[in-house]
Amino acid sequence: MAIATPPTPAAAERMERLEQIWESRPGILGWLTTTDHKRIGLLYFWTTLALFGAGGAEALLIRTQLAQPNQHVVSPQTFDELFSMHGITMIFFFIIPMTTGAFGNYLLPLLLGARDMAFPRMNALSYWIFLASAIFIYTSLFIGKAPNAGWFNYVPLASKQFNPGHNIDFYCLGIIFNSIASTLTAGQFIVTIFKSRAPGMSLNRMPLFCFAMLAASFGLLFALPALSADTTFLFLDRNVGTHFFDASHGGSALLWQHLFWIFGHPEVYILIVPAFGIATSIIPAFTQRRLVAFPLVAVAELLVVFVGFGVWAHHMYAVGMTTISMIFFAAATAMVVIPSTIQVFAWCMSFITGFARFKTPLLFIAGFIFMFVTGGLTGIMFVAIPFDQQVTDTYFIVAHFHYIIFGAAVFPIFGGMYYWFPKVTGKLYFERPGQISFWIIFVGTNLLFFPMHIVGLLGMTRRVSTYPSGLGWTAYNLAETIGGFVTLAGILLLLGNLFVSYFRGPPAGPDPWHGPTLEWTTSSPPPEYDFAVIPRVTSAYANWDPVDREADRLNLADGLLMLEHGHEQPTVTPVDGRLAEIAQMPHESPWPPVLALALALVFTMLLIGLYGVAGIMGLVCLLALAGWHSQEPPE
Amino acid sequence: MSGYSVPQSQVGRPTAWWGMTILIASEATLFGTFIGTYYYLRFKTPTWPPGGIPEPKLVVPLVMLAVLVSTTVPMRLAATAARTGRLAATRLLIAVALVVQSGYFAYEVHDFSDQLHRFDITRNAYSSIYYTLLGADHAHVLLGVLFNLWLLGKLARGFTRYRIHAVQAIAWYWLAVNVLTIAVIGTLLSARA
Amino acid sequence: MSLRRLEILQWVGLLLGALVWTGQHVVGYGVTEAACSPGGTHWGIRTDTWEAVLMAAAAGCVLAAGLAAVTVVVRTREESYESPPPTGRVRFLAIAAITANLIFLVIILLDGLGSIFNVACRQG
Repeated sequence: MAIATPPTPAAAERMERLEQIWESRPGILGWLTTTDHKRIGLLYFWTTLALFGAGGAEALLIRTQLAQPNQHVVSPQTFDELFSMHGITMIFFFIIPMTTGAFGNYLLPLLLGARDMAFPRMNALSYWIFLASAIFIYTSLFIGKAPNAGWFNYVPLASKQFNPGHNIDFYCLGIIFNSIASTLTAGQFIVTIFKSRAPGMSLNRMPLFCFAMLAASFGLLFALPALSADTTFLFLDRNVGTHFFDASHGGSALLWQHLFWIFGHPEVYILIVPAFGIATSIIPAFTQRRLVAFPLVAVAELLVVFVGFGVWAHHMYAVGMTTISMIFFAAATAMVVIPSTIQVFAWCMSFITGFARFKTPLLFIAGFIFMFVTGGLTGIMFVAIPFDQQVTDTYFIVAHFHYIIFGAAVFPIFGGMYYWFPKVTGKLYFERPGQISFWIIFVGTNLLFFPMHIVGLLGMTRRVSTYPSGLGWTAYNLAETIGGFVTLAGILLLLGNLFVSYFRGPPAGPDPWHGPTLEWTTSSPPPEYDFAVIPRVTSAYANWDPVDREADRLNLADGLLMLEHGHEQPTVTPVDGRLAEIAQMPHESPWPPVLALALALVFTMLLIGLYGVAGIMGLVCLLALAGWHSQEPPE
Repeated sequence: MSGYSVPQSQVGRPTAWWGMTILIASEATLFGTFIGTYYYLRFKTPTWPPGGIPEPKLVVPLVMLAVLVSTTVPMRLAATAARTGRLAATRLLIAVALVVQSGYFAYEVHDFSDQLHRFDITRNAYSSIYYTLLGADHAHVLLGVLFNLWLLGKLARGFTRYRIHAVQAIAWYWLAVNVLTIAVIGTLLSARA
Repeated sequence: MSLRRLEILQWVGLLLGALVWTGQHVVGYGVTEAACSPGGTHWGIRTDTWEAVLMAAAAGCVLAAGLAAVTVVVRTREESYESPPPTGRVRFLAIAAITANLIFLVIILLDGLGSIFNVACRQG
């Protein structure tokens, strides 16, 4: 039900009122105080794209240093900072905020048939905290004190004794700071998914993208505390003199590893599950059929994260644990493959039994499946403890996780950028350059990451800043570096294509793909209020239900279900999606950026060592919270 | 007409309750990792508490725990009073809870600094996790005290739906903090086993 | 069977297995750490006994949860998972529960048998 011109005077008058109520303040102030999920999604998108550039630059510097043996492009100390910041940036500041903050924020209310998230101001707060944490941690790079003990930051290398500078303090505080933003986002998504759906959308009628976001959100909520605890203990060890990790006083270096991987393993599933959600949106659109085995795919999204909480010590097979301890993790690791496999079969069967049109988004999904299966096969090899103990800390591992992360997270992100580009901008991208960009990126990434398997088995260890000649590693490293630059070319073509299409692309209309879900029922780009009429939903593929869409058109004509008396949206019962009440939502507010700034000052004071001032800034945060809650919804 | 009508029975819990549940889930998980850390370090250490640190006392911590947990009663009653629109009762019950909770917190601050004089946090791994776990619990109690103060300030100007939901959410917060404190004290006292 | 009863069986099917596996996995691993560490040997934990009991109890619960889910799927065979709520939703979540419980059962058996049939406290 795309409305170019409203059908009746009654409808026109109500849409006019909706426009006025939901209209954003003009200019910069409007962006600073926004609570509109679409604007917040776009803010996340631009910021994470810039950080992707930073992480990519770090990667290319690493690859340039390693292209030939015995080079001195960067010093070993700088190399340590580069690979640490590369990992930290790509994981915490690109993939998570891009998939959840950008894609999740923009699309979730649209796919749920809602007008906004459950807590719009808290949504804005997540973005400003995220931005502040990115500035915080990148300050470390600009002053030459970036984290340098890897993204996993093992003690004792990260302890005060071996790392006395501020590098690791930036890590500890920056990670905790960033995790606040992600925790708020996770909570936001969970409540929105359970409470802010369109009436009629019971759980068995919710799109798979939403199940994926729900799984990632549960993962973030329950995994991040382990990392916060770990980094808190390290900060205390380094700055207060505690002994959590100090074996000479009863502590344990392995405690760091356990807590880190209790977070770290669920984190890697959190990285890929939203991307699975993107794939399960694109495949039905370009095969024009409902996804095979819908209930199994929905539960697989949730199970891969849930079972993923039980596998963490498979990152620690070489530390000297007893066999009977390691068995628990081998068992869970063996079985965590099953939900992913269910999804791969469902995707492939949907390709085979549908009418596949290999437009650019579907090409990226096909590439994603290839890369994910390749990376997954090496992942299954790691279930075998003896094999894992041989390849641990070699480039074989680096190959595995880059196939998974680049293949299973970044490819769907690129595909999703093409898929939803028409919805967000109202323009179509240029198809030919799109397909070419896919092939260049596909060839580039395989050239970049495949040789890492071989050179790892030949004995090249991770995190080395250079290597001697004559070991047979040189040709592979050179190939990898070339692959890196080929990938860069493909990404530049992708971004250039989207940039030019934004200005010169033909108009897209509301539904260029005949897409399956609700975002395709509204205009491109969507109006501020997302939906003029609260949509009627009786399946997970709402845009393919002509009866319901006709009901929407009739409601619009009669001016029904438009909720135009304020910033209104329905809340529903969590499981069956029956209407609970009509909620009044907050609109623009200055408190989120204010609170984020106060929080940034807390962390800065902690970094400098002015703990008293940090405490005072903490009180300022509480005052800002009180100010925030001085604004109450109309009765 | 908007086109919607809702049976009263279906309204369900307010989003404030959902938001508070998320906070509780996150904080409970954090405490879970602290408690896991406690036992991990304990398994690695032959004598516990190590380094000549005396075992924690039994009676006073349990009595103080009972004092704190008892405030669950006025907080629960306050939530019910708010839901049924009884403003004076709600204010009184929250005030009573606040007095007891503040008294508890003041005593615990005194006891905490007292213990620090007997064995410092930098002594060994036991002291590190002991004071961190206990300190985290006290911080959550303090936050709850500030919540109650803010509530009384809001309720001074009467009821609104928002404030009624706030009472319910904060009563839920206190229930969670009390349960967490039981877990924390139980863990610390298990050193006597 | 009444809808109320079907709903209860559906929730039991979905949640009981998950909770029980979580407990068995954490406690099972924790027992191996306690038994094989200097601070835990004085408790005299026999890992084989603990793991066997945990495995049996957990497997029993997960089987029960699976059975509850299967019952729901069988009783709703006239409907599809796309049917309107609550019946469609109940069937949908029960199908999900069967899948989940199968996976949990296998992990529990691998956990238990693997820890029993390996020599206790030998570094790997």
